[in-house]
Amino acid sequence: MADVLLEPNKVPSSPLVLFWAAFCENRGAMFGLVILSAIILCAVFAGVIAPHDPIEQYRGFSKLPPAWFDNGDARFLLGTDAVGRDMLSRLMYGARISLFIGVAVMSVSMVVGIFLGLSTAWFGGLYDVIVIRIMDLIVSIPSLVLAILIMAVLEPNLTNTIIAVTIVYLPRYVRLVRASALTELPKDYVTAAKVSGVKPFRLMTKTVFPNCAAPLIVQGALGISDGMLEAAGLGFLGLGAQPPMPEWGAMLADAREFITAAPWIMMMPGLAILITVLCINLVGDGLRDALDPKLRRS
Amino acid sequence: MFTYLLKRLALTVPTFIALMFITFVMIRLVPGDPIEVRRGERGIDPERLEILRHEMGLDLPVWQQFYNYVSDIFHGNFGVSLVSKTPILEEFLKLFPATLELTLCAMMFAILLGVPAGVIAAARRGSVYDQSLMGLALTGYSMPIFWWGLILILIVSNTLGLTPVSGRVDLIKFFYPPVTGFALIDSLWSGQKGAFLDAVRHLILPTIVLGTVPLAVIARMTRSSMLEVLEEDYVRTARAKGLSARRVIGVHALRNALIPVVTVVGLQVGTLLAGAVLTETIFSWPGVGKWLIESIGRRDYPALQGGIMLIASIVIVFNLLIDLLYGLINPRIRHG
Repeated sequence: MADVLLEPNKVPSSPLVLFWAAFCENRGAMFGLVILSAIILCAVFAGVIAPHDPIEQYRGFSKLPPAWFDNGDARFLLGTDAVGRDMLSRLMYGARISLFIGVAVMSVSMVVGIFLGLSTAWFGGLYDVIVIRIMDLIVSIPSLVLAILIMAVLEPNLTNTIIAVTIVYLPRYVRLVRASALTELPKDYVTAAKVSGVKPFRLMTKTVFPNCAAPLIVQGALGISDGMLEAAGLGFLGLGAQPPMPEWGAMLADAREFITAAPWIMMMPGLAILITVLCINLVGDGLRDALDPKLRRS
Repeated sequence: MFTYLLKRLALTVPTFIALMFITFVMIRLVPGDPIEVRRGERGIDPERLEILRHEMGLDLPVWQQFYNYVSDIFHGNFGVSLVSKTPILEEFLKLFPATLELTLCAMMFAILLGVPAGVIAAARRGSVYDQSLMGLALTGYSMPIFWWGLILILIVSNTLGLTPVSGRVDLIKFFYPPVTGFALIDSLWSGQKGAFLDAVRHLILPTIVLGTVPLAVIARMTRSSMLEVLEEDYVRTARAKGLSARRVIGVHALRNALIPVVTVVGLQVGTLLAGAVLTETIFSWPGVGKWLIESIGRRDYPALQGGIMLIASIVIVFNLLIDLLYGLINPRIRHG
């Protein structure tokens, strides 16, 4: 009889398990996650699995179509670009660059955004006004125009692209963290923590912040894809990563003149951007639905 | 309402000052000698450098330079382009109608397709229509528009030969003086046969490319806003009264669902102007976006400084107008 009482399934599931279960229900998000994982693997192991060096130019093999076309070459699965570099290898190394830009932009702007958001919510006053005014100003300049301004002053390269796009995306994190911190601050549990003598820094980071995290995670996921698109746009305009770096946007810009002669050179990098960004957005939507039960029903 | 208006206006002032400060600092941060940067010349001899420095007021204290810069702006003097030697304001105003025309068309395209798409998806929630429309919307939202433009050029212009590849007007066949600066109006005004059609054909692809992302945003927004409204009591009442589904959705629900959509439309203006830079570059559309990019290539920093100042000002003023409009529509914001 005592066995019944010891049944193991009475343990409440952890939030993480519940979240994962909700996430798995969303077929689109799962699909996105699988493809995205494949892309990430390609990016991480590009050095091992890429068939060729991404900047090696094979003479006599320029503008080869993908292998499944009549005059394709099995050694160059997705064909070669205008100067005979292997498209597949370039795309794999390009995934590394694009994902790195996206993740770097997201992490830097998120960390700075969390710091500014929490501190403005805590201190208020003139400091708050100044920071929020600056964020408003950043928002009022169209994102690409602002990035162009920054790139015009700095030299166009990968690091500066990340700096420019980070500044462009900073305001959304600051505003988001500040707004949710401000709604949390007057609540009873915060007062209780204050009364029990928790220091401001610990109060903001350990007590308040975890309750602001859910929307931030969603914004972070979408921030990666937006950052990637922005950086690719800059690369396309020649203001981002510089050749011969296999950045997807810059590859597209190179392919522009061969749009009729060799359309696949232009097709591939764009398709790579679209698929990656789409998958991240699918995952982001899934995260939002799984984290926010209010939105889950719609 | 009046206090709200004043408050909102007062908030714009520091933003403008900061904007002027940033553009003022920007040109000073450009690597290289400040005079060479602004004159576009290299290796100026020291004697002339001194004269120029005095002429351009660079020997004054920094705060005085900033004061002069601000006062110049208030007098409509945004500097002179290094390349064309014309005042930047003049150049900007000549190009801006092209950007505005493109932006407006893209917005119309996005609204006219996005709102119905969102409504259909919401009304048939969970159906094949809903799933495919929202799948398309997410794809549009993820689209690198510079690639999308190239694909459309490849298919529609190069392969099918339906539209021109670039520009606003077929200059070989048509010429009309820019009365308003809007190709659609000017071509009609000129009365030349086929000119209007030509202008439309030039506009189609850039409009689609620039309108794709806002279209996706609006469709997604309309759907979720519509789903929320459809659960409201007044919608149930309207249904219970025996009104047709079309009327309930099209009139009772849609009217209320559109409020957040209007907000989104307002917010998209900045996005559109940013997207215009890419779209104009792809289609050689003679607007301010392309001009800005070319100015970078030519190291025409005064043009860049003035151009960014002007574009940001337009967005700030536009956002202000939208905010005031909300204040008029929605009393809750005014008093909040």
